[in-house]
Amino acid sequence: MGPDRRAGAAFLEASGVTMRFGDHVAVRDVTLSLARGEVVSIIGPSGAGKSTFLRCVNLLEIPEQGSLRVGDTSLTVRPGAKPREKDIQPLRRKLGMVFQNFNLFPHLTVLRNVSLAQERVLGRSRAEAEARSMSLLDRVGLAGKAGAYPGRCSGGQQQRVAIARALALDPAVMLFDEPTSALDPEVGAEVLAVMKELAGEGMTMLVVTHEMAFARDVSDRIVVMVDGAVVEAGEPRQVMSDPSHPRTRSFLSAVLGR
Amino acid sequence: MFQYTGYILAGVGGTVAITVAAFAIGALLGVPLAVASRSGHRLVRWPAISVIEVLRSVPNLVWLFLVFFGLPEVGIRLGPWATAILTLGVTSSAYLAEIYRGGFSGLGQGQWLASKALGLTTWDRGRHVLAPQLARVVSPTMATYAISLLKESALASTIGVVELTFRGGLVSQRTGDGLTTFVVVGVVYLLLSLPLAYTSRRVDSRLRAKFSVG
Repeated sequence: MGPDRRAGAAFLEASGVTMRFGDHVAVRDVTLSLARGEVVSIIGPSGAGKSTFLRCVNLLEIPEQGSLRVGDTSLTVRPGAKPREKDIQPLRRKLGMVFQNFNLFPHLTVLRNVSLAQERVLGRSRAEAEARSMSLLDRVGLAGKAGAYPGRCSGGQQQRVAIARALALDPAVMLFDEPTSALDPEVGAEVLAVMKELAGEGMTMLVVTHEMAFARDVSDRIVVMVDGAVVEAGEPRQVMSDPSHPRTRSFLSAVLGR
Repeated sequence: MFQYTGYILAGVGGTVAITVAAFAIGALLGVPLAVASRSGHRLVRWPAISVIEVLRSVPNLVWLFLVFFGLPEVGIRLGPWATAILTLGVTSSAYLAEIYRGGFSGLGQGQWLASKALGLTTWDRGRHVLAPQLARVVSPTMATYAISLLKESALASTIGVVELTFRGGLVSQRTGDGLTTFVVVGVVYLLLSLPLAYTSRRVDSRLRAKFSVG
């Protein structure tokens, strides 16, 4: 038992994360932590740096600086020193990620999409990986699509496959980058239902979303980002009904139409 | 019946051998060339782009003469077959590298991000995600290139490689019947290209039915 397993201790911790694209500061000194099993939604206007921050967490974007820790795996990025791929891998392995545009591999069947990384990254045998894939596909309601190519699946189905693909690697934390933004609302609902179930099972989740209902009903905390910085964080009901920051108020009144 | 048809047909093996060997060399060498030409490091990218441009800007016939007649002056002596295969192979690498490059840019960045997020190594990303999709995107263009290389292989006759065109030349000189001879030679090239074009279309439409890329 490491010290981070104490009740309430941060399980995922990002501190002082800053990311710059040229002169534009996309993420400004963001510090955020999640307890084990906690679900945190990041909301905020477009271009606020929410997705960029999420990509910094699993180092798909290398931040200019910042410290990241998941459980007992940590990595500190200092200005001017790009971390090497092999230093990034251990952290990335603990994080599953789901993208706005699903990003399934179009040349592989649904089953192979979910199995590939299990075999290549975790070293599972093909039979073992595919058995695990089938149980996950069954869980997201898509066992019947195992042999289909992603192009033959609807957007909602593709996103559920993408969730199964990320879960297949047994991540400690799941990152969701606007998972329903590319979907029609009714199709998005299937995806949100899977996410809700996952949250109910105790998965630690960090979700960038425009789904205010999900943020309010499923997350334990909401973090509001504006212009690359966290301006407000708190319990969903408190942030939604009594926001303290003027930018949160204007953002919420725009999205909630009040 | 044209009595020299058999003699001409005996050149098919040579023509096919040059085409297949040069294509294989080009397809292999083209990969590092394409990768280097997209490198983030200028010192890698610029030489690769220069090599591609130089190879593509000089006619293949001039490259053949340069290697066959020019290199012996600096002590490198290659036979006609080796010259034809190596020269066409190396110039093909430039054309194929450009075809690969076009394929790379056709693939969405999302594929790369997703495979990174899954923790796949650079090698596995290339082998299991990039290459198969790239193959799908570039195979029709590569087939077109293979057909043009088949025709380019006739250049080898100018340095004394006894392939289809060379044999046609001999026969037309012997018989004085250039019309019949080169109609036969032309038809043989046609019969060699057609299956290539047909197979490429079949494979392409079969793959297209399964999935599309990009």
